[in-house]
Amino acid sequence: MEKATVVVIGGGATGVGILRDLCMRGIDAILIEQRDLANGTSSRYHGLLHSGGRYAVKDTEAAKECIEENIILRRIGKHCVEATEGFFVRTLQDDVDFEGKWVQSCQKVGIPVAGISLEEAMRLEPNLNSKIKAVYRIPDAAIDGFRLVWQNVASARKYGGRIKTYNEVIGIEHINGQVVGVRVRKVLTGEVENIECDCIVSAAGSWAGEIAALAGIEVHVQPDRGTLVAFNHRLSSRVINRLRPAGDGDIFVPHGSITILGTTSYQAKSPDDTIPATEEVIRLLTIGEALFDNLKSYRILRAFTGTRPLYSADPSVKGRSASRNFVILDHNNDGASGFFSIVGGKLTTYRLMAEKVTDAVCKYLNLNIECRTANEPLIEDPSPELITRARSCFPSYGTQLAASRLGAVGLERVVKRMQDHPETRQLLCECESVTMAEMVEASLDSTSYTLSDVRRKTRIGMGTCQGAFCTFRSVGAVDHFGLSWGKDPNELFKEFLQGRWNGMRPVLWGNVIREVELMRGIYEGSLNIMER
Amino acid sequence: MRESDVIVIGAGLAGLIAAAAAAKQGKKVLLLTKGAGTLTIGGGIIDVLGYLDDGKPVLNPVDGMACLTPDHPYGKIGIETVVDSINFLLKICENEGYPQIGSCRQMQWVPTAAGMLKPTCIVPKTMDVSGLKKTTNRVVVGFKYLKDFYPQLVAKNLATMPGFEGNYKVAMVSPPFECGRDIGTLDIARWLDTEEGLKECTRQLQQVVKAGSTLIIPPVLGTNPDYLALGWLEKNLECHLLETVTVPPSITGLRLRTMLLNYVKKQGVRIIEQAFVTESVIDKGRCAAVVTEAIDRQRFYYAKSFIVATGGIFGGGIIVEPDQVREPIFRLPVKAPLRREDWANQALLSNAKQPFAQIGITVDEKMQPLDVNGNVVLPNVYIAGRTLAGYDAFFEKSGNGVAVSSGYKAAMSV
Repeated sequence: MEKATVVVIGGGATGVGILRDLCMRGIDAILIEQRDLANGTSSRYHGLLHSGGRYAVKDTEAAKECIEENIILRRIGKHCVEATEGFFVRTLQDDVDFEGKWVQSCQKVGIPVAGISLEEAMRLEPNLNSKIKAVYRIPDAAIDGFRLVWQNVASARKYGGRIKTYNEVIGIEHINGQVVGVRVRKVLTGEVENIECDCIVSAAGSWAGEIAALAGIEVHVQPDRGTLVAFNHRLSSRVINRLRPAGDGDIFVPHGSITILGTTSYQAKSPDDTIPATEEVIRLLTIGEALFDNLKSYRILRAFTGTRPLYSADPSVKGRSASRNFVILDHNNDGASGFFSIVGGKLTTYRLMAEKVTDAVCKYLNLNIECRTANEPLIEDPSPELITRARSCFPSYGTQLAASRLGAVGLERVVKRMQDHPETRQLLCECESVTMAEMVEASLDSTSYTLSDVRRKTRIGMGTCQGAFCTFRSVGAVDHFGLSWGKDPNELFKEFLQGRWNGMRPVLWGNVIREVELMRGIYEGSLNIMER
Repeated sequence: MRESDVIVIGAGLAGLIAAAAAAKQGKKVLLLTKGAGTLTIGGGIIDVLGYLDDGKPVLNPVDGMACLTPDHPYGKIGIETVVDSINFLLKICENEGYPQIGSCRQMQWVPTAAGMLKPTCIVPKTMDVSGLKKTTNRVVVGFKYLKDFYPQLVAKNLATMPGFEGNYKVAMVSPPFECGRDIGTLDIARWLDTEEGLKECTRQLQQVVKAGSTLIIPPVLGTNPDYLALGWLEKNLECHLLETVTVPPSITGLRLRTMLLNYVKKQGVRIIEQAFVTESVIDKGRCAAVVTEAIDRQRFYYAKSFIVATGGIFGGGIIVEPDQVREPIFRLPVKAPLRREDWANQALLSNAKQPFAQIGITVDEKMQPLDVNGNVVLPNVYIAGRTLAGYDAFFEKSGNGVAVSSGYKAAMSV
């Protein structure tokens, strides 16, 4: 039987952050995830590294945590963070009284804000709506949720962390009020096994209520739907926030060559209620026009939906009125000693959440070991020598991109593959500059079971063509290298394309619908991959 | 003022056939085109009708057409005219030295680069599947560094296809390219346009394949509408070669486009490229002219009749916006499902047509655009190709068939 001191449930940012923290403190730990890592809310959000400005008025505690963690993550996760800075912009429609209150609150919390002239703001961000009324600079940034998760994983593995994906926790085993293990079911085979442990940490986010229920414990996590739109443009160089109390469509975050507009807030039917709807997108675009003119004419890539894991001890609190603070629940109080749930919170504070819950675990295990996650970078930078070797294999613009995606260890493996097999230097995904070598390396990872898993690690199919060209090449390449996970190639095609379609279907206009027709033309019209 | 008899807008397959057929009728034809059309994307084989609405494969496309609803473009064009139009194309190909194989009455199942089979009707001689069945020596040939073709995938899938069961070997050719970038099928096709390329390819293949084999290859047998590369390789290797359908750019589409362009030029069709037709001049209920926009100025082109072959949603003939769907040049009424929620199936690839794919312009039997009440909108305007409403070309495999037959029918109606 597999054993670990601690079982961590949930492969989002918080879960992998906890795994990393435990392993860095020398505690033997295993992480269990029901699907793929970063498949839940950690990748289904706007990708904002909060300065805290958004929470300054209503939630000073959360705001304070944000600005502190913001500074830490820029240091330890520099390859995940794009230090864009942010604007808070008051439009014609926004309450002028809120502005003063907001500035004061930010100052009180210690978030540096600086008002700038409209002229200067328009010079820095010329696409902004010319009717805006006031602008402040604030240290917001963009953060890549996928990469953050993967680099935490790389770090945790370095310290012996183990991960099982596509394993669903179906039981919490306890003896005399003390947890002794978890029962897991392999989602792909149905096989059931027990993992023995001394301690369980549930970091299941929107699913935390369901995990707690396995031990007969009630945890009120209300999944709250947030839909977002990814544009195929960088509308601004900075994060643009609407200066008003938190609401729908109030944030634009630039990531590389794209921009994400968020977010809506509806009560979700379930944590899996993540298929975006056209009306949500139209609502976001309509509201967003206060910040950017002619927003509906910009090319969209796709829409996507995540569920915020809102926690409240009082189940009647809903939507944005719920606090974004995190809470650690020691289920010793519910008769299950050694079982902890960490609920609420947000991606920006994932490291702090991990630190606090790991502290609680250490205390439970009678260990006194200091947390080091705020000091050590997630991944090691490649050496200049490795970068030089990489430059001889990658297209010139791709070297730095791959280096920050992969870190020293990953880049070394990819470069070696390229040197041994020169044909793997080709770009399978031109939109995101992903080489065949990187794709093959990601396919070999023990957590990859489908092409979508590889996508989350490499970004294949996440750019402009949304997989129209690289799906064929990816299926061909995994088949060529004998890595198709025992799956029929047609299954691989359909699984990947359907994932892309889910985000394009709600935005069937402009170039998205043209892209869909190109995609159908290739896979249905030419290659005849069909459901027959 | 210089006036044409017919202006054809769009030089995809529908526009080229319309121009060819109108010119053949003795009309003075002007062809306005903004780009290369989608023929070089989708491919140069003529799918007429592969599947019915319920997803059942069609055995004989002519019989299959009789099962379609009257709203389908084939219902408007008429089966007899579809057959005539395909024969018209076959005749041109014959005369231009690029004869094709097949007819509308028989389905041909051709291999794709995914190793699937796809139903089609008319194919070039480079895609003759009959040879495959005569030999058990079957080799899928890939090209090193070609990321758009995976011979092992083709071999594995094809071996499971009805009628194609058997053993497939895999062989690789290494083209001596030093172009400093990833290569595509077009690069290899250009290599095989040259004698050195053919010689080198032959030399490499002779070492790994036996005479009498069938070689399944990506579409790379030259860029020109002739069979020089095919003939050379078949003679020197004593093998049968079979090109597959693959991802864009489509070399088979390029060949067909080159051939048709050569043909229409010989017929006296005037062609203006880079012509972005932006609007039309309507006078007394008829179209008098269309307007193109260039960097410096607008130009007006006058004609007695206009054939619109501007493509569908992909080609740009139909523009979809968040709150409306429009045809940009004549502002013709576009038929689309009323509610956006009804536009698309949950699954991208399924056993049903996509409703949005059927968006387009409704026409009468002469290919004239109709309004919601069934009245002709502009009596001297005709619609051809993907701009038409009422069919999902990719689901049923009818894109080029509708293009050829509607282009022909529009020209005959002028």
